[in-house]
Parts: sequence; C-alpha cells; structure tokens
Amino acid sequence: MALLLRTVARQGQCLSRSQFGVLYRHAVPMGTTANEEMNKFWAKNTRLNRPVSPHISIYKWSIPMLMSISHRGTGVALSSGISAFALAALVLPESYPYYLDLIHSMTFGPQFLAFSKFALAFPVAYHTFNGIRHLAWDLGKGFKIPEVYRSGYIVVALTVLTSISLAAM
Amino acid sequence: MISLLFRSSSLIRPLAVQKKDRDCPYLISAKIHATPSNYAGSGSKAASLHWTGERILSIALLGLAPVAFCYPGPAVDYSLAAALTVHGHWGLGQIVTDYVHGDFKIKMANAGLFLLSTVTFAGLCYFNYHDVGICKAVALLWSK
Repeated sequence: MALLLRTVARQGQCLSRSQFGVLYRHAVPMGTTANEEMNKFWAKNTRLNRPVSPHISIYKWSIPMLMSISHRGTGVALSSGISAFALAALVLPESYPYYLDLIHSMTFGPQFLAFSKFALAFPVAYHTFNGIRHLAWDLGKGFKIPEVYRSGYIVVALTVLTSISLAAM
Repeated sequence: MISLLFRSSSLIRPLAVQKKDRDCPYLISAKIHATPSNYAGSGSKAASLHWTGERILSIALLGLAPVAFCYPGPAVDYSLAAALTVHGHWGLGQIVTDYVHGDFKIKMANAGLFLLSTVTFAGLCYFNYHDVGICKAVALLWSK
C-alpha cells in the first residue's frame, strides 16, 4: 500500500488525472488513523495536566441514562457473583449442600429468606429484560424517544413483577 | 486499494500550501505515512463478527433459561457454565474497552480479565462435576 502511494506521489500526476481530478488536485491521503489521533489528543492533554470540564457530575439524569448504566451495573454485579461462586467452589473444602444448610441454620426468619431471593432475582430479571430491549435495538426497532421510554417502563415493570413472583416461590 | 485514493473526502485532506511542481512530489511522499494494509479501506471483519457473536450468545443464553428450568441436568449445567462465562467475559471486555486507555493498561486489563474468566469457567466446571451442578444448586437455594 505504501509503495503504491509513494509511486503515485512521485509521479504527482495520477491524482490530478482521475475523474475527480478537480476535487483532489491538492489532496493528500491521511497518514494517521482515528485511533492514533485520539491517543495523541489524550497524551497531550494528560501531559499538560489540563483539567477536564464537569460532564457526568452536572448533566441532568434521564431514565434511559439510568437504565443504561444499571444494565452495565447489574452485568458487572452478576458476573462478579458468578466468578466469586466459581472461586468458592474451587477453594472451599465442603460441598454446596453443607454450606447451604450452614446458612439456613443462621437465618433470621422467612422475611430474610424472601428478601434474599428478591435481591438475587432482581438484577437477573432486570439484566435479562433490559437485555431483550437491547436486542430489539440491535434489530433496529424502538429508537424513537417515546418508544425508548415506553420500553424502559415495561422493562422496569416486568422486572419488579418477576422478582416478586420468584421471591414468592 | 486504488479506490482509497479516489474515494470520498473523509479520508483525504487538502494540502495547505501550494508548492512548485518540482518540489511537490517529494513533499507529498514525505507526508505520506506507511500505513499497513489492515488500516486501509479493506480492513478485517473481526470486530463485526465479534459483535454478531455477542448477540447470538445472548439469545442462546436467553433460550437456556427455560431449558434449565424444565430439563435440569449435566448437559444444561455445562452449557450454562460456558454461556455465562463467555457472555460475562465479552461484557466485561466491552467495559475495559470503554474505560481503560493506553496500550499497556489495555493489555494488562485484558490479561487480568482472561485470567478471571478462565478461573470462573474452571470453577463452574468443577462445581458441575464434583458437586450438585448449577441447575440443582439454584433449585436447592430456592427450596428453603
């Protein structure tokens, strides 16, 4: 590629002879990628120790914003939970039923159990339903702002209902 | 590759100053950086395929949930272990891409993530093999 560009440049005529000649008479192909330009931007600003303008701290929160970061938050929480569980399985000496009985012998009552089930079910339900909402967006559906809010409310409603139902099981 | 020279202006920027024709060819070639062909127009489909893979896995995981409820067992246990681990790995990978900057830090973060996901999958498989398995574990947890 470089060889081709150099050959063309050395001749200095190919560009001006093309059908778009008038447009590109004094044009040069770009040498840096967008990624390189971005890195240069950050490197320079960090080097000069420039302050960053407030952005997240001052922008007004909206439902879509909240739901988006919650999707990420529940994702991280669930992933951490699964990893912690896997790590525990590798490290702890006894079997799962043993530890489960241990926890049950320590519980403070049925309300505690129901609440724990709700606390576990809630992030799973939210991440699942909002995940479906994301997949709909990936298909190109539901981008109009009223639709975004409507689907958002449906996700929250479904999450609460599902979590309560699961906690009651 | 030829098309790169003649395509839309988004990849072309005009010369700021007009030089004499004699000087021109030398100066133009001096300004052109040797970009490897994978930066140029053609590019690979890796990122696009990764995106599609993420969506397909998400849908598969969605389908696994009712199956796990109706037909618990080792097949579903190991499928869940794999699907959950990869889904989490790719999700956390996007977070690294969003918030971690700088070549070295990115490499370190991804290495740490890979280690975490490997341990996670190993732990889940160990649990499936030596203990009650994921489906049974959830059932037991909910039975009390």
